[in-house]
Amino acid sequence: MRRSTIFSGCCFSVLLLLGLTLLAPPAADSSSGDVAVVVNSTVPVGEISFTELRRVFLGERQFWSSSLRISLLLHAPAARERDVLLKTVYEMSEAQLRQHWIGKVFRAEAPSAPQMFFSDEEIVQALAAIPGSIAAVDATRIPRGLRVLRVDGRLPGEPGYRLH
Amino acid sequence: MKHSRWLVCLWLLWPAVICAQSANSSDSAEMIRALLNRVEQLEKRVAELEGRPGQSAVAPPAAAQPPTEAAPPATPEPSQVVAAPQTHMGHGVTEMLAPSTHIAGFSDIDFGATDKPGSHSGFNEGQFVLHLNSALSSKVSFFGELSLTARSDAGTGTPPATGFNVEVERSIIQFQQNDYFKVSFGRYHTPINYWNETFHHGQWLQTSISRPEIVQFGGSFLPIHFVGALVEGAVPAGGMNVNYNFGLGNGRSSVISKSGDWGDINNNRAWLASVFSRPSSLYGLQFGASVYRDMITPTSAAFAGMAFHEWIQSAHVVWNKENPELIAEFANVTHQQAGGSLTSNSQAWYVQTGYRLPWLERLWKPYYRFEYIHIPGSDKLFKAVPSLAGSTVGVRYDISSFAALKFEWRNLRRPGEPWVNGAFAQTSFTF
Repeated sequence: MRRSTIFSGCCFSVLLLLGLTLLAPPAADSSSGDVAVVVNSTVPVGEISFTELRRVFLGERQFWSSSLRISLLLHAPAARERDVLLKTVYEMSEAQLRQHWIGKVFRAEAPSAPQMFFSDEEIVQALAAIPGSIAAVDATRIPRGLRVLRVDGRLPGEPGYRLH
Repeated sequence: MKHSRWLVCLWLLWPAVICAQSANSSDSAEMIRALLNRVEQLEKRVAELEGRPGQSAVAPPAAAQPPTEAAPPATPEPSQVVAAPQTHMGHGVTEMLAPSTHIAGFSDIDFGATDKPGSHSGFNEGQFVLHLNSALSSKVSFFGELSLTARSDAGTGTPPATGFNVEVERSIIQFQQNDYFKVSFGRYHTPINYWNETFHHGQWLQTSISRPEIVQFGGSFLPIHFVGALVEGAVPAGGMNVNYNFGLGNGRSSVISKSGDWGDINNNRAWLASVFSRPSSLYGLQFGASVYRDMITPTSAAFAGMAFHEWIQSAHVVWNKENPELIAEFANVTHQQAGGSLTSNSQAWYVQTGYRLPWLERLWKPYYRFEYIHIPGSDKLFKAVPSLAGSTVGVRYDISSFAALKFEWRNLRRPGEPWVNGAFAQTSFTF
């Protein structure tokens, strides 16, 4: 009786451990959870302040230079990168963000709302192809060749980085 | 013994194998015939296309594909990504072939009941508004706003039947050099008032059902529309993010609630200057001030031979986050008779507050507004504009991300009239 109880307990513990292992998030490196601000290679900027980044994502700043318009690319709702932007940059709910862009276009303050993408592959491909484009991408999934902007002098994974 | 068993099995199964093979070969032959027919048809089709004058059988260039449609590798390297043109904001294909026009709309359905003598309760269709925008190139854009408004006198006949009044509310072509300098021409909502410039005819965008009285459509206190040219831009100014507008246009027409759409009524252009700031350090705050100058020459018999200089000074402070929301505006209108001594000052202001409740999925937003208009008896031009003091209290419930229900109670008083109470409901939406 006692032996079977111990055996059941061991089985339960193993199953619990297995379950927790499966449910636990994957092991993280130093930049895990951070979202990088990635730009097309034509963007003549290597660093940006957080407040300026907010102006860019709000559509208040629309040009990198007179000859290069900012093309804002966003993940579709429910993507983690979008959630990070909503929480840290926009300080808005999803509904407020939609209203912000509908109002922005309606007020003739922006020619269009940001382009929306449903996968990392799509957004990375667009970042590489569209001059002046900018997007928030998971810091662990940045392919070679795309430029990551320093935000307030910090890269993803560095202490004090704000987009996570 | 074992071998003999295997031989018996093989002998029994052999016919089945042969049958299966013959069936497969007949299926394959049919398939090959079908494919050959298909190839033959395609060859004929290609020959037809090649023989057609002015047509090319060459596939459309890769440029016709939007960036997201190009087949990407699983983990694309920048060098491997198919080079695609920029289609965002009017680049690439859009620029080469034709402008792509985006259409959106706003509308609302209302119910109202007041205790004002002679008024009727009931439903009414709000404005049906279409908004069009089109990027003509990376730096040139067109914006249009068209409204259809239900009116008791918009139809034909005597007395006029009810119907819908169509109006081009805004029609703007804008050239954008950069963030600092944009120039545009067209018909605008006069950018000297925050509400007028922010919510336009999109009832869904504004928290409340009604607009403040000073910017009511069809009202006269502030010129709602402006036809002319506008230069605008924004400069960082050390984090103050200063935006400016300078405008030159026709100003008010002989009916002062209308703009000079068909032309000015005199040779004096109206001009305006507006500055506002959105400081980076106080995200959500906006404050600004404007001036507007015009010459008005009314054509009614009461003002025969008279002209008035109009000066408008206005200011606003807005906290545009929803926890809380605050909008406060003030405007002073000075009318000075040209060549005479008649001078008057009329003031109007309102304060609106709202708060998005943190419970129930943040769908409810109660709000309150107090507004006040003072028109002195000496202001002959505003003789038909009544003074006003009143409160509006209501609640907004967002049914979805693009539709809202609003319930509002108003308590207003005009000079010489009793208090008027009213209950209103509205569903407003964008589509």
